[in-house]
Amino acid sequence: MLKAKVILVSLGIALAIPQAMAGSTPEEDRKEAVEYFKQMFPDVPFEEFVNGQYALNEDRRKQWESMQDFPPYEFAVAEGQEMFETPFANGKTYASCFENDGIGIRQNYPYFDTKKNEVITLELAINRCREANGEKPLRWKKGAIASISAYMASTSEGKPIDIKVPDNPDAMAAYQDGKEFYYSRRGQLNFSCASCHVQNPGKWIRADFLSPALGQPANFPVHRSKWGELGTLHRRFAGCNNNVRADPLPAQSEEYRNLEYFLTYMSNGLPVTGPATRP
Amino acid sequence: MKKPLLTIAISLALSAPLAVQAGEKEDFEELYAKAQSTHKDAGTFQWTVTGDRLKAAKSAADNGEHKKAKTMANEALKLAEESVAQRKKQQEAWRMVAIGN
Ligand code: HEC
Repeated sequence: MLKAKVILVSLGIALAIPQAMAGSTPEEDRKEAVEYFKQMFPDVPFEEFVNGQYALNEDRRKQWESMQDFPPYEFAVAEGQEMFETPFANGKTYASCFENDGIGIRQNYPYFDTKKNEVITLELAINRCREANGEKPLRWKKGAIASISAYMASTSEGKPIDIKVPDNPDAMAAYQDGKEFYYSRRGQLNFSCASCHVQNPGKWIRADFLSPALGQPANFPVHRSKWGELGTLHRRFAGCNNNVRADPLPAQSEEYRNLEYFLTYMSNGLPVTGPATRP
Repeated sequence: MKKPLLTIAISLALSAPLAVQAGEKEDFEELYAKAQSTHKDAGTFQWTVTGDRLKAAKSAADNGEHKKAKTMANEALKLAEESVAQRKKQQEAWRMVAIGN
């Protein structure tokens, strides 16, 4: 009797530990997350999740829709296109650095570069392209880089996000690292990204209405009325960290790139909608 | 006779506060260094409020406000210790709440 119990207990341990250690695959995570948000918001169609808070709040949505006739980012997108098409001093353009000349590729970013062993975001690729062509890199969070990124995103409008985690231990580690960042509590207020965007979407936090994790990166770069201009995803990460009194990490740091990798993977299948507007 | 006495008196009068000041300065520097290294140990879990206290401590010290400098450094150290504890705890705790383990 006692022996049987001991065997059962040790069996339980033997079974439980390898499972926990192995963790789930990115695709299992994603499916489970989609299921989670579907159950939380049964009336919201899958594709609507790219609209963040507007998918969940009727009043906010009305205000937002009334803005769509003259989107405030239009000028920046035109400027971004002009910069994108203007040759560098060496005569080459951004197109030379990207697949399909950089048109309609936003949905594949970020990707894991198995040669360089790191996550490449679109903004990183833009600046690497400049440097490879003898130009100075742009500042990361706003301004020219946001405009170029916005133009590139606009050429991918409606294409389903298609992030891949290749069968490679380093790629898997980058994904896991981003996932760990997302679920780890930080800052004096002791919140994780998930505390707000997984556990509490659809609720108010002071004057803000919380969006779900699902779909979040699809609308970047984003024009926020608070900023009065376009900003990149990493600018938003920094703001969200700061709000819980956690020191933000540098834009395009390995941590933020891995975070973007994880977060964007979760949105696979959702359409690119950037640039967009937010409060 | 008068002069040596006076010298002693003056040097006594001067040295006492100086000694206290030197002690306070050392105390502060030790505390500040500890707060700084603990803050660093928090890695990617640093708190903004710790950095704010460290800055306040430094500028108080630069202005000769030793008491305030020590108070700020002390607060910075406490906050930094909490952030290190958070980092350690989260190494495992995040798994409990993650979708898909
Ligand atoms: C204290 C709550 C809170 C935490 C913690 C938090 N955020 Fe946010 N986040 C917000 C609020 C409020 C907004 C603006 C309203 C909205 O869209 O949710 C926002 C917006 C965003 C957006 C833009 C969504 C959109 O539709 O454009 C992204 C992306 C985002 N957060 C990512 C993160 C990440 C990554 C973390 C962790 C590093 C994080 N947030 C942590 C409150 C939080």
